[in-house]
Amino acid sequence: MLGALGAVRLARAQGVRDAVLYKNPQCGCCEDYAAYLRRNGFRVKVVATHDLDAIKTQNHVPERLNGCHTTLVDGYVVEGHVPVASIERLLRQRPRIRGISLPGMPQGSPGMTGVKKEPFHIYEIDTHSSAEPRVYAIE
Amino acid sequence: MHWHGVRVPNAMDGVPLITQPPIAPGGEFIYEFVPPDAGTFFYHPHQRSYEQVGRGLAGALIVDEREPPKVDRDLLWVLGDWRLNRDASIRGGFGSFMDASHNGRVGNTVTINGRVPNEFLARAGERIRLRLVNAATARVFGLAFGGHRPWIVALDGQPVEPHEPEQGVIVLGPAMRADLILDMAAAPGSRHSVRDGFYRSLEYELLKIAYGNEPPLRKRAEDPFRLPANPLSEPTIQNAERHDVLFTGGMMGNMSAMRRGMAWAVNGTSGSCGEGTSAFDPLFVLRKGRSYVLNLVNDTAWHHPIHLHGHSFRVITRNGRPAKYREWLDTVLLPPREQAEIAFVADNPGDWMFHCHVLEHQAGGMMACIRVT
Repeated sequence: MLGALGAVRLARAQGVRDAVLYKNPQCGCCEDYAAYLRRNGFRVKVVATHDLDAIKTQNHVPERLNGCHTTLVDGYVVEGHVPVASIERLLRQRPRIRGISLPGMPQGSPGMTGVKKEPFHIYEIDTHSSAEPRVYAIE
Repeated sequence: MHWHGVRVPNAMDGVPLITQPPIAPGGEFIYEFVPPDAGTFFYHPHQRSYEQVGRGLAGALIVDEREPPKVDRDLLWVLGDWRLNRDASIRGGFGSFMDASHNGRVGNTVTINGRVPNEFLARAGERIRLRLVNAATARVFGLAFGGHRPWIVALDGQPVEPHEPEQGVIVLGPAMRADLILDMAAAPGSRHSVRDGFYRSLEYELLKIAYGNEPPLRKRAEDPFRLPANPLSEPTIQNAERHDVLFTGGMMGNMSAMRRGMAWAVNGTSGSCGEGTSAFDPLFVLRKGRSYVLNLVNDTAWHHPIHLHGHSFRVITRNGRPAKYREWLDTVLLPPREQAEIAFVADNPGDWMFHCHVLEHQAGGMMACIRVT
């Protein structure tokens, strides 16, 4: 455990952020999103699982904020095809929330096919998920 | 209750709002039919089926041959798949859009005849007829019997020329069945692994085959037997009327259907007819007694086991190539971006569902009906 923490600290010092991305074993867009994160300086471990539902529950992602895959990075949950600018801001500012989500699978978002048709609304995944989700960013 | 694969009269087909009113709690409905074919079939409700089947309402229906071929044991494995919590209770969340738009509600616990399997005890030299039924709502199985060479002698209850599966792997989508001859040809006392490797990187051991120490029952296995044919009408391909059926939608697919809250479509329409809808707009009206070829095209990134009610059909081509065994099926598995042609005689009058048997896909719009009149 200490070894793993040590590795994370070392990676952070080197400017590499570790992420674990949980995905459906047959879904391709999640792989494309992992590649997008890698291009942007993340070291991504992809884990295929049939238990995505449980992973979302464990990480307090409410159903209305569900995206395709779930990524854990530096203590935060990043749900769905969130653009990297919002993740960078999250990790820099470290707000007291569980994470952020771009719900659904919007066309033109990172890793998705198609053309962006409207601004992406990225929401906070809050500690009390019963509340109406707050917008974290519009990209 | 739907008698999957049994060619019943339409009124006995068990599809609420199409062939009968739903059976209310405490109510009853008497099903009465003479099964025309011998083989391994399956039954399940067709009401909110993604949850009712997902919670276990499904079973095997075996119709014996008049003179069953001789085997040492005739065994049945009903393969089940469950999404369980840590305390083994069934997790909720049936019908989520996440599952519907991907590969359905694939679970985390696989069972055989309702139990998590451990060891399968065998005697060297015995011949087993093993009937496999995939009763899962969504999971596709790809079974390899390590150290053994099973023969497939029937698919979806219908005899097929005995053959070994491609690369030794028996692929069964939801609702599909296979009858195997399993000759236990390994050494007394040996152990072997039956593995399911369908989902890449999530391969697992389904169970172990454990041989007892008794001497072999026989020296070497006999040739595989052929099951007697069932009374199916042979389609005449040359004169058959042809129709195209295009399956679309899902993640990484055409999203236009998704925006309307339905993930999938058949020939551009989501849920034009079938379980849970009072809409009735048949895909095709077929004339009784005529031969038809349906060209099924899976224009999605996902597997779809496509089931036609009331009929068995021959698979005549796959991806433009003649099918090797021209097998009779009632459910054909279409891999992503693949295509198959099926042929049959429309000899059973009525309104028949025609749908994907990943039941979350069906509920998500991948269902239609065909009328035979």
